[in-house]
Formats: sequence, structure tokens, C-alpha cells
Amino acid sequence: MTERLDDRDLERTLSDIGARLDGPKRDMWPAVRTRIAERRAKPWWSRLHLERGAFAPVAATLAIILVAGLLLTPRFADALGHLLSIPGLQIYRVPESPTARPNASPPTFAGQGVTSVAEAGRVAGFTVRTPAALGEPSAIYVETAPVRVTIVYASVKGIPLSPQAGVSAIVVEFKGTLETQIMSKAIGPGTTLDAVPLGSGVAYYLAGQPHQFFFRDPAGNIQPETLRLAGNTLLWTDGGVTYRLEAQVGLDEAVRIASSLR
Amino acid sequence: MEGRPAEDAVLVERAQHGDTEAYGELVRRYQALATRTAYVITGLSTEAEDAAQDGFTKAYFALARFRTGAPFRPWLLRIVANEAKNRRKAAGRRPTVDLSVAEDRPSGDTALSPEEAALASERRTFVLGALGKLREEDRLVIAYRYFMQLSEAEMADALGCARGTVKSRLSRALARLREVAGGEVSAGD
Repeated sequence: MTERLDDRDLERTLSDIGARLDGPKRDMWPAVRTRIAERRAKPWWSRLHLERGAFAPVAATLAIILVAGLLLTPRFADALGHLLSIPGLQIYRVPESPTARPNASPPTFAGQGVTSVAEAGRVAGFTVRTPAALGEPSAIYVETAPVRVTIVYASVKGIPLSPQAGVSAIVVEFKGTLETQIMSKAIGPGTTLDAVPLGSGVAYYLAGQPHQFFFRDPAGNIQPETLRLAGNTLLWTDGGVTYRLEAQVGLDEAVRIASSLR
Repeated sequence: MEGRPAEDAVLVERAQHGDTEAYGELVRRYQALATRTAYVITGLSTEAEDAAQDGFTKAYFALARFRTGAPFRPWLLRIVANEAKNRRKAAGRRPTVDLSVAEDRPSGDTALSPEEAALASERRTFVLGALGKLREEDRLVIAYRYFMQLSEAEMADALGCARGTVKSRLSRALARLREVAGGEVSAGD
């Protein structure tokens, strides 16, 4: 038996089909955000992907160098720093996740304590900005060789105290260039590195296993007292200033905090 | 965000000024429409999601060229549709597609008897089969009207044609659908 499908039935059936068409199973934004960041980061990001496998032997060597606390030649350091195109910053991949030093104590914040963001800017020589989402800082320190500003948020509602840093959040700011290395990070296989769009640029988010980081002096030497493990961290540059946010928050929250820079 | 959701234009402007999370809100708002648009073209749900994601990415980088005051939805769908078409062309697949819908989803018309529900299901299968044999452009104009309920103005923007031609394009597409369907549907044994 057959029946004629008149115009009304056809239209009704088409609308019925529309109501039953499947949409995406999950939120698409994280995947789209990654694609945007990857496209923005080219060619640096694509280079990183290509070189990850081939980078392993180099990383192993670097790990030994790091553990031994030896110095890297400026030229070699420059080449690595360019991988992520973050001024003043190097990120190494190392074959094993770094572990805390025995009897490691919570970090102490070096530099001159200042009482206001404006004063920090005057000492540092650049405009210091703070993320409004974190509220008022608990303490601000400025170092001058090389220049860097450390802003400490001892306790922020909703952000747990970091087991590594002993506070809710730390923001570090410095005016780096691709030719100068002020801070370095060593990340093992348990640490994830994601690129996300932020403002008109790209931010890099380190999460998972704590990674190791340390500051360098003006000669490029490791400052041993600054060598420590760090938790989830977002890194980005804006207006010639490199920013580092360390806080035990997820990617979305880290981006939200970074976007509130005033 | 609390209260009424922000207008598309507000979110677009924020995204144009570097607020990527505003763009994220637009992605969440239109991901279903974008995926359906791509699905009608590719006929493969996994590829449709991928094409939609690439479409959103391309649209993001094209935001600077987005005309202030223009509707965002059809502009986005045009980009997504182009992305899906390019994928189909690159894959060199045959012109027909196999479309399917979730049959286990409760119908909007709860007053259907079991017999009527069975008939409606057969009609869907039949029409989907005919739809899959249409040209891509015909599928798209039908989808915009019946699957996504776009207005004529939005359809014109999304299809890249004059507003006055939307009706005739839809009419021709429906005529071809009827022709392919042969005007008849099995109503059971």
C-alpha cells in the first residue's frame, strides 16, 4: 500500500528530520580554541610538533645539563628560546618529570618589596599590570638584575594553595626579548603543554605534573636559589612584557584571570 | 554570564577586540547549526564536526572583515558550508550522501498513535534517502529552511544569493525532492 506524500506532509517530515538531526556530542570551543592558537602560533607551534620526537635526545642532554647546573651558551639558549617565541623564556622538554629537591621549602620571593603596583612600575621601568580577577595582591617584589616583578596572592577565594608555591597565585612580569633569557622551564612527559588564544596573541598553558623552573642572572647563569617546581602555569606576552601566572586552576580559569589584566 | 545572553553583535565586537572567550560563547551558541550544515553537505557526522570546527576557526580569523551590523549566523554558516564543500571535493566522493537521523529521539508530536509514529518514521527514512540524492545546493537550501529555520534574509546571506531568489531556489529544490521521491511513500505492508 502506498500513499501520496503531499506538500504538507513533505514539509512536516522535513521539519521532523531537522529536529532529529544530531548535533555535536560535546562543547566544541576547547577544540576550536586549540585550532585558533595553533594557527596563530605558526610557524613556531608547527615546528614544535614536528620536532617533538626528534627533540628527545637533545632533551636528554639538556636534562643532564640542568641537573648538573651547568651553564648554557647564549647562542644555544637563544635557539631553544625561539621555539615558543616567548621573549625572555625558554621551555625544555626533558625525558623525566623533575622531582622536588629534598627538604625543599616554599619559595621565598627575592627583590625589593614595594607597597603598590605603581611603585613597582616605577622601580621596574615598565607599566606593571595585575589581573583584576585575583583581587588585591598580598605582596609585590621587584628585582632589578634582571628586572622582574613578582606579585603574590597569598589566598584567593576559589584557588587552592599551591603545594609548590604555598600561595594561591603568583604573577611574574618582565620585559624580555628573544635575545635575553630571564626564565627557563623544564617539562617532563607528565606535563601537558597547550597553546590557547589570548587577546591578539597566544598563551601557553603548562599543567599536570609539576615542572621545574628557574631564573637566570644577566649573564645567563642559573640562579640556584630560584630553582623549584611549579604547578599549573600560563605564559603569555602582551605589549612587550612577558607574563607568568602560576595557580592551581584549569585552563579556562587561567585564561579568564589572564584576560582580566588591568 | 548572568541575565539575558549577550547579543551576537556584542559578542562579535568583543571577539574582534581580542576577547576570545566571547568568541567561545558564539561557538557554543552555533555549534549545533554549524555541524548540521556541514553534515547536510558531507553526510558523515565525524567529518561534519571537523568541518564545523575548521569553519569556526576560519571565521575567527575573518572577524576583522565581518561587516558591523550584519547578522553573524548566516555569515558563519556560509564559511562552514564552504569548508564542508571543500572537504567533499578534496575527498572526491560521489555526489549522493547517506543521511540519517536519531530515531530514538521523542517526537515533538506526542499525540501520534504507534501506527502514525511508524508511518512518520518511514516517511523520514524515505525523504532522507531522496534528500541524499539531491544536488548539494538543493540540500542546503532545504536544510536552511526546514532544519535550521533560517529567515529568507538569513538564507540569502548564507547561500550568497539575492534575497529575491531564495524563494525560487527553495521551490525548485523542493520540486526536485518530490521528483526524486517519486511523490509516493510506502505506508507499510
